[in-house]
Amino acid sequence: MGEINQNITQKTNEKVEEEVNQEEIPGVITTTSNAISDFIKKTAAQDFINWGRKNSLWFMTQPMGCCGVEMIATGCAHYDTDRFGIIPRNSPRHADVMIISGYVTKKYLPALKNLWEQMASPKWILAMGDCSISGGPFYESYSTVQNIDEIFPIDVFIPGCPPRPEALLEGFIQLQKKIAAKKDKGTNY
Amino acid sequence: MDAKTIIDSISNEFSDSISNTLIESEIRVSAYVSSPDVVEVCRYLKESLGFDHLSCESVVDYIKRDEFEVVYHIASYDHPVVLTLKAILPRDNPVIDSIVDVYWNANWYERENYELYGVSYTNHPYLKVLVLPEEMLGEWPLRKDYEGFPQKTAKNLV
Amino acid sequence: MIEKTTPSEMIVHIGPQHPMQPGPYRLNVKLHGETVVDLDVELGFIHKGIEKILENKTYLQGITIVDRMCYLAALSNEEVFCGCVERLAGIEPTPRSQYIRVIVEELSRIQSHLLGFGEFGHFIGYASMFMFTIKEREDVLSLLEMVTGTRITHSYIRFGGVREDLPEGFEEKCKKVFEGVRIACDEYEELLRTDTIFKERSVGVGVLTADIAKEYGVAGPSLRATGVPFDIRRNEPYLVYDDLDFNVCTQTEGDIFARVKVRLDEIRESMYIIEQALDQIPKGPLFAPDLPYGRRTPVMRVPQGEVFFRVEDPRGEMGMYMVSDGSDKPYRVKVRGPVFPTMQALPPLIKGESIADVTAIAGSMDSCTSEADR
Ligand code: SF4
Repeated sequence: MGEINQNITQKTNEKVEEEVNQEEIPGVITTTSNAISDFIKKTAAQDFINWGRKNSLWFMTQPMGCCGVEMIATGCAHYDTDRFGIIPRNSPRHADVMIISGYVTKKYLPALKNLWEQMASPKWILAMGDCSISGGPFYESYSTVQNIDEIFPIDVFIPGCPPRPEALLEGFIQLQKKIAAKKDKGTNY
Repeated sequence: MDAKTIIDSISNEFSDSISNTLIESEIRVSAYVSSPDVVEVCRYLKESLGFDHLSCESVVDYIKRDEFEVVYHIASYDHPVVLTLKAILPRDNPVIDSIVDVYWNANWYERENYELYGVSYTNHPYLKVLVLPEEMLGEWPLRKDYEGFPQKTAKNLV
Repeated sequence: MIEKTTPSEMIVHIGPQHPMQPGPYRLNVKLHGETVVDLDVELGFIHKGIEKILENKTYLQGITIVDRMCYLAALSNEEVFCGCVERLAGIEPTPRSQYIRVIVEELSRIQSHLLGFGEFGHFIGYASMFMFTIKEREDVLSLLEMVTGTRITHSYIRFGGVREDLPEGFEEKCKKVFEGVRIACDEYEELLRTDTIFKERSVGVGVLTADIAKEYGVAGPSLRATGVPFDIRRNEPYLVYDDLDFNVCTQTEGDIFARVKVRLDEIRESMYIIEQALDQIPKGPLFAPDLPYGRRTPVMRVPQGEVFFRVEDPRGEMGMYMVSDGSDKPYRVKVRGPVFPTMQALPPLIKGESIADVTAIAGSMDSCTSEADR
């Protein structure tokens, strides 16, 4: 650990001098959390962090359509997602994963964006059901918004109308694999 | 109360405004009403004939005839007869009296008809959008000549 | 719109995402202290224009769309849609398929009530209730899945019949599941009767009297909880409900507790109906042999005309007004959903109660936003 710490301080020192041009206070090292996390990403410590993250994917219950019911059912006793560390939470502030479970309408999109901003990073987003992937049965409706993947950085698409709870679980497992392989989009948020 | 008495009763009471009465079956009757008298007829139905339940209020756009039909489905909690009351409005200036005074739950149905069809109701307590986003008001999406349907923004359309 | 008038008042927005809500809607609550002085409901967060879409789909395609109108009662939506078309086209479903329809619709009622009941527990902070009922619901869903092949969006009912016959072993499985559900229902009732916290939160709260409920146009369990025995299955029988014996469950108090109790009783009643139907179900074809359009006919033209047809949804009176112009697509479809008037009745019902009861009252109405918005 000692080595890593030294590296951090060295690197961030350079950065701070370059970019911020701050006044040097003797004995005090200033750095930013972004710089630290940028550095950690290059080390093996990130693997350990990701291992922790992938095993506690709390998702936000926010039923938006028929798929929402399946999402609720997945979080409950029968499918027992707790064993993967996947727990339904009601508040966006507690959640790591947002599931778009249904049609996004013009009226709801601002609220959905708000919810997404409210979540603390790192955060991931799953598109559940045909509606959020491609419009589903309502692709031509006057009131829905299409092409959700251009608006949100979606990591996993779960097809189905509605996908079965098992499919949602599989989606979560794929997300875990993605996180472990550092290929996810969410961590950078 | 059976279908025939109901029809006789309203056509006697409002011989000028009720027309084209039709007994479709034992539990379904329909009649046309001239649009200024809607509130009167509804009040009579509610107070004298026991039609205490407004089941539904909707609008049909008959673009070929250049008319809107406002359709009231009035039912009762006691007898199974459903009366379909229709009022015809011109398509370019659809205005009709609100029946919120008589049937409290007409409120939202009328708001919905207003935003989807542009039928405006006089004496309505709060005629604003209900289900559409604010900026879509004025597009009247359920009219037959609405141009925004089908929407073609989805990128994977075949 | 809700506006602040005095400085001591406060406006709280509940929704569109809130644990209390089975779908997005917004309650703007004006508070004075802890008391609700004014309230309005904002709908439309999942308005998808189903009525417009239906006008542009053929009749057969329409079945899939109405399915997704209310995701907890997909089968009654199909029933009302197919019932309308059958009445317009003058088709009579075969006896066997009528019985099958009754069976699947009652199954869907059971699962919907179980979810509504559990959700209500969740809303007043009784999260374990939700876990209990979901377990039973999964069993019932597996029955539905056996018949229709899917869990919540079935596309099962067809004009003049149903898509598939009952599978083998359905009856035995039904018996087994019902045994469990019956035990569970008794347990829930015991819980309701003995749990002081539950009673404190529900007895005498959100009282709806019969006259006011009628005035508001409320139907279904919320109306029956006020003592009005209004049930479309009885008042205007469709399918074979005439030949089946069942009670219309009512309570007289009209408060939250009564609504929950009615739902529990209806679960039992539905099981009783299904058992009778399974006993009486006749053998025979699913479609009449001379039917011009059967299971898979993409193009069917329906004669000109119009019809208004009502069925009893798990949440109340579900009506549909369909106008046909003789082409292969409906000219106009208007859905009269049971949740729409129920949501409309929320503001007068909640006014004057305390903020802590808002979720309890709104939750006890078992609303399904998707269907109010359409
Ligand atoms: S994908 Fe299908 S089941 Fe899911 S929300 Fe859309 S229509 Fe409903």
